[in-house]
Amino acid sequence: MTNDRELDEILAEIGREHRSMGAPDRLEPVLRTAAGNRENAISAPRLRVTRAWAAAVILLAAVATAGVIWQTLRSHQRQTQQVRSVPVPQVKPEPMLPSAPVTKSAPVHRAATDSASLRDSSPKQAPGNSLDEFVPLPVSEGLPPAAELSVVRMRLRGSDLQQYGLEAPPDAVAQTMLAEFVVGEDGLPRAIRIVR
Amino acid sequence: MFERLRRRLVDGELSDEELHRAALAGSGEAMAALYRRHGGLVYRFTLQMSRNDAVAEEITQEVFLALLTQIDRFDAGRGVLSTWLCGIARRQLWKYLERSEPAAALDFDEESVAELRCPSDGPAELLLRGEAIAAVRAGMDELPPVMREVVILCALEEMSYEQAANVLAVPVGTVRSRLHRAKARLAGLLRGEMANTERKRR
Repeated sequence: MTNDRELDEILAEIGREHRSMGAPDRLEPVLRTAAGNRENAISAPRLRVTRAWAAAVILLAAVATAGVIWQTLRSHQRQTQQVRSVPVPQVKPEPMLPSAPVTKSAPVHRAATDSASLRDSSPKQAPGNSLDEFVPLPVSEGLPPAAELSVVRMRLRGSDLQQYGLEAPPDAVAQTMLAEFVVGEDGLPRAIRIVR
Repeated sequence: MFERLRRRLVDGELSDEELHRAALAGSGEAMAALYRRHGGLVYRFTLQMSRNDAVAEEITQEVFLALLTQIDRFDAGRGVLSTWLCGIARRQLWKYLERSEPAAALDFDEESVAELRCPSDGPAELLLRGEAIAAVRAGMDELPPVMREVVILCALEEMSYEQAANVLAVPVGTVRSRLHRAKARLAGLLRGEMANTERKRR
C-alpha cells in the first residue's frame, strides 16, 4: 500500500510538472490565420452566389427587355403588313389623252370637285392617272357656268370617251370602265373622272 | 463585431462554444483564445504519447484545424471541447503509432498484461525521490499506449474517469481497469527500481 501511495504522489508530482507545460506559441499565428482565411472562404462563396444571382437577374432583365422590344417590333411589323395588305381600290389606269385642250376655267361645283384641282389639271394629264381628280371635258368649253352641279356615275367603253373630246389609248378603247361625270343643271357634262 | 468579441475575450467571459462559433465565423482572435485555453492539454497529451516534439506539434495543429473544418463533428451538448479535442488528437496519435510502432499499438490484449501485486512493505524510503520520479517516467514510456494514455489523462491531467472515457471512446469501466493495470505495472517497475537501489547500497 505504501507503494501505491508513493506512486500516486510521484504521479501527482509528474502531473504538476506536466501541466505546467504550455502549447507552443508558434502555432498560434498559424491557427489565427487559418481562422481568418476561413472568413474569406466563407465570404467568397457568398460573394460568388450574390454575383451569380445578380448576373441571372441582369440576364433575365435583358431577355425580358429583348422580348418586349421584339414583340413591339413584331406588332409594328404586323400593323405595317396589315396596312400594306388593306385592299386599295385599284383604278385601272386608263391613259386618256384629251383630244382637245382643256380649259382651266371650266365651271365645276365645289361639292363635286375642288376647283383648284381643276385649275391645276393639265389637258395632257390623263384622267385615269389620278384616282380622284376630275378633268374638265373639252366639250364643256364655252358652256355657261352651272349654278348646280351633280355627279353621275356611269359605265362606258373607252371608245365612248371620244364623244366627250377625250381620246383613250388604243388598248383601252375596247375596255369598259366606270366613270363619274360632273353634270350641270342643264344636263351637260363638265368634267370626268375615271373610277375604275 | 470582432472588436466586441476582443473585449469579451480580454474579460475572459466567453465560453468554448461562443469562441468556437466566433472562430468559425472567421475570428482569428477567438481561435487563438481557444488554442491558449486547450492547446496545452492537446500538446502535452500528444507529446507524452509520442515522445516526439515535431509529431506533437503537428498533431496539435491538425486538431485545432479540425475545429474549423469538422464543424458538424463537435456537439457541445454531448461533451466539452477539451475532451473532443483530445479525442481527435488521440485518433491522430494512433495513426502515428500504428506507423511507428505497430506491434505496441495494435497487439495489445487487455488480459495479457499481468497484474502485478504491490508489495506492502517496499523499501521506498531507500530510494531518492528523483530516482523514483525518473523510474516512473521511464516506466510510463514502457507502458503499452492504451495504458499510457489512461495514465496521462487520469493521473497527469487529472481528468475524471468519465472525461477520459469520452476521450478514449471506451466505457468508464474500461478506463478504470486500464488505469488500475497501468498503476500496478508502474508500481512493479518502481519496486524493481527500489530493489536495485537497495542492492547497490549493500
